[in-house]
Amino acid sequence: MSDQTDVLQGTLDLLILRTIALAPMHGWAIAQRIQQISDDLLRVQQGSLYPALHRLEHQGWITAEWGASENNRRARFYALTKAGRKQVEAEVAKWERLSAGVNLVLQRT
Amino acid sequence: MRTWHILRSRLRSIFFRRSRETDLREELQLHLDRETERLQATGLSQGEARLQARRLFGGVEQIKEASRDARGTAGWDALVRDARQGIRRLVRDWRFTTAAILILGLAIGANTAIFSVVNAVLFRNEALADPDRLVNIYQNDRAGRPLVVTSYSAYKEIAEYTDVFAATMAGSMPNPARYLYDGAVRDAVVEFATATYLDTLGLRPALGRWFDETEERPGAPLVAVLGYQAWTRRFRADPSIVGRIIRIEGRPVTIVGIAPASHRGTVDIGLGTDFWLPITAVPAVFVNLPPGDPTTIHAPFLVKARLRQSVTLAQAKAAMDVLAQRLAAEYPDQFRAEGEFAVGPGITVVASTDVRIHPQADGPFMVIASLVLVIVGLVLAIACSNLATLLLVRGTARAKEVSVRLAMGATRRQLVRHLLIESLLLSLAGGIAGCILAWWGMRALQGIDFPFRVDLTVDYRVLAFAIVLSQVTGAVFGLAPALKATRVDLLTTLRDEGLQPIDHRRLTLKNALIVFQVAVSVLLLGGTSVFLQAAAAARAQRVDYAVNGVAMLETDLRFAGYSEPDARRVFDELLRRIAAIPGVQSAALLRGLPMDVNGVAIVIDSGDGQKGSTLEAAAIASAPGFFDTLRIPLLHGRVFDERDRADSPRVAVISERMARQYFGAVNAIGRRFRSANDPNSWTEVIGVVRNTGTGDFDDDVLDPISPMFYTSYLQSVALPTTVIARTSGDAAPLVAAMQRELRAVDITLPVMTAQTMAQKLESSLAVPNAIATLFGALGGLGLVLASIGLYAVVAFAVARRSREIGVRMALGARSQQVVWSIARGVAGLIGVGTGIGLVLTVLLMLVMRAGSGSADIGIGSLSVYRPSFDPVALLAIAAVTAVVGVAAAFVPGRRAARMDPLVALRHE
Repeated sequence: MSDQTDVLQGTLDLLILRTIALAPMHGWAIAQRIQQISDDLLRVQQGSLYPALHRLEHQGWITAEWGASENNRRARFYALTKAGRKQVEAEVAKWERLSAGVNLVLQRT
Repeated sequence: MRTWHILRSRLRSIFFRRSRETDLREELQLHLDRETERLQATGLSQGEARLQARRLFGGVEQIKEASRDARGTAGWDALVRDARQGIRRLVRDWRFTTAAILILGLAIGANTAIFSVVNAVLFRNEALADPDRLVNIYQNDRAGRPLVVTSYSAYKEIAEYTDVFAATMAGSMPNPARYLYDGAVRDAVVEFATATYLDTLGLRPALGRWFDETEERPGAPLVAVLGYQAWTRRFRADPSIVGRIIRIEGRPVTIVGIAPASHRGTVDIGLGTDFWLPITAVPAVFVNLPPGDPTTIHAPFLVKARLRQSVTLAQAKAAMDVLAQRLAAEYPDQFRAEGEFAVGPGITVVASTDVRIHPQADGPFMVIASLVLVIVGLVLAIACSNLATLLLVRGTARAKEVSVRLAMGATRRQLVRHLLIESLLLSLAGGIAGCILAWWGMRALQGIDFPFRVDLTVDYRVLAFAIVLSQVTGAVFGLAPALKATRVDLLTTLRDEGLQPIDHRRLTLKNALIVFQVAVSVLLLGGTSVFLQAAAAARAQRVDYAVNGVAMLETDLRFAGYSEPDARRVFDELLRRIAAIPGVQSAALLRGLPMDVNGVAIVIDSGDGQKGSTLEAAAIASAPGFFDTLRIPLLHGRVFDERDRADSPRVAVISERMARQYFGAVNAIGRRFRSANDPNSWTEVIGVVRNTGTGDFDDDVLDPISPMFYTSYLQSVALPTTVIARTSGDAAPLVAAMQRELRAVDITLPVMTAQTMAQKLESSLAVPNAIATLFGALGGLGLVLASIGLYAVVAFAVARRSREIGVRMALGARSQQVVWSIARGVAGLIGVGTGIGLVLTVLLMLVMRAGSGSADIGIGSLSVYRPSFDPVALLAIAAVTAVVGVAAAFVPGRRAARMDPLVALRHE
């Protein structure tokens, strides 16, 4: 477990938005998907996942609808809103600039 | 789009809090279940998997809390929670809550209702077009001060200055009159005005038109403009009233238009004017008053003019000075008369915006207005300080609860918010109660039959002000104890309340509040006593004649279309029939009653050949039998008899006061005076009678006895209107009998008033009584509020000391000693408060006396209150306050003294 990294504050929003951009998902699935796609490198703390989801909904980037989960239970599915889609692009661009910057600093010092 | 999402999500968060909570719980549960399933799939047992999932998940409640916070609704949730707790708490402490709501409700409601009435009379101002260009113009008296009267002839001269004034108008003071419509005769307020009246003010009629110059010519058919309020209230806003004929004072008058809704009259003091008639209608409506006489005080005209665009106020003043000099040169005779209402040569021009009623009336007017404001404000101040005391006491009593909450980890912020919300809820409830009481109070006030009509509506600005003030009080005094309570020393408070040291400091907020309340109560009672004094004086001035067993019947033959000789015959017939009613001892015809006489201008023959001075006296046209019927004793000479006929020399009976004041001796038989309007009306004094109280025609309520004279109705131009009769029995059945006789004479004759004299007397006192009742009620309210406050404080102090009291009693203290020890502290506070209150009251009266120095100008219904110092009354007020205060403190004190020592010791 020690090689897993907690998702950085501030990048969680980006990851959530990016993950549900493909299809609406419920909270647990979002956490699982992030973990899977990152080859278990990134671990989403439940303690921050749900507040983040509620915050994003509150900000109008995502909406929540009740639907049936994969094993047919009621689950809250989060989907991007139109504004959310634009936000993803902006967040991705911002992240790319940030990581490029960080990489440069790391390489040149 | 995004905004819509945000809005929807937030509204949902706020309004569907419960479903949101279940949603959150279900969402997190699903997460846990799925995690458990996942772990089970990795080979763990169900139990282990669940445990592991929970461990990974962390604190469910924390996540919930964080999620709520993320929605930004945490603050709202806390608010709702605090409000709910607050309501529960207030319902549980229902005694405290009821008291507080009652205090606030009474203060806000009563204040708003009373202030709305006062406001309707004193403070409302109407909006006129371009008011800065309007000026008021007055003729001066001989001392150079602006007079109430400006003559019609002077107005015409002023109106000639068209190079200075774009428009000029004159309007009279409001006059009482009666009109017949739909078979009933009703009271009305009429004004006489020029054709230029409305245009000069820059207003348009609501319907129809204003009368024009052709209708203003003497002898033209009578026309009138109907006031808007009268139109809506008395004529059901029927537009077809324009063009119809109604009878005013018996004369047929055509209604040509409806005045604008915003304009209530020339002098806006609450009297809504019902009819405007052309100035030239004065002699037609009030038979004996020729217009054009500069000394006419029956139709005193107020002149207003609109300055031309390029003309300044200074230029207008200069132009009027020129006019004044010219008038003085042309008519030297007119400015020679001496006396109170003699016209001097000067003319005053004042910007209309600088005048409320009249330059000379505004001073005393402001005194009354500020007294009213002070009284209303004081009641509100008592109520607020009362609420403050209650909250303070309650806050201290809750110190233990606060410490428990603090110990449990509540932050100070949370606690303060909690307490604040509670007191705001309380003042909100008080505000609602106040609205209800204000509305109810207004309904009650509208039910009172005022002799004048006041446009009564709840003044929402005042209501809003009272509510805001109560909210601020709630906030401030809810917060002060809250802050104090949250500073408590946790350990001491939690350990045991009984061991807390007694607070021996003198200057605490609580003590200050008690002193304040007592002082303000004294001041309040002192202020209201001014109005009570005025009402008592008004009553005293009217009861100098015997009214028991006397009935009166008033009619007006002009409404039935009689010619003058016919009318006199009808009255003689009526008198004969009434005198023949069994039980009637005496009966008389007259015009005018002692309780509502008008002042007229007279000129006294000083006997040395010089032109006499113009003075004012009350006049009643009476007949033989009048003095018997009202039991007014004759002092010198004789009263009217058969010798005094229409063609015999004019004679008068005068009052003792008039004899003394105007002729310099009580025995004034043979002296002469005349009407100021008619140089040929010399009248000889044939008798002097004892003073009778009169209506306050000059409004000098503290100087009740006016000079008064009686003439024979046979020698009077005006017809009699009233029959009075004295019976040996009860006057009430006589009233009905008199009405029967009236109908027997002519079924079409209208009954204006049919009452016993006692009833008539009461209704003539309606205004001072109503004022005294209103302010007396306010004073009483203040005292009740203050005693509630005292009671609460003492009761609380006793409750806190119950353990100490128990110990004392157990050790053998007698109950009187206990009561005394409690009362001593309170008595000191009450003493200080009473002393401060007395000083303030004396100061208030000094200010009022200073303010009303030049008060005596005799305008309509504006009464001038000049408080006189009455040490007995002041001491009585102080005593009442002190006694009520000590009594309020005594009740809980006695209860404590009666306590069983065992119970007191156990008392927590």
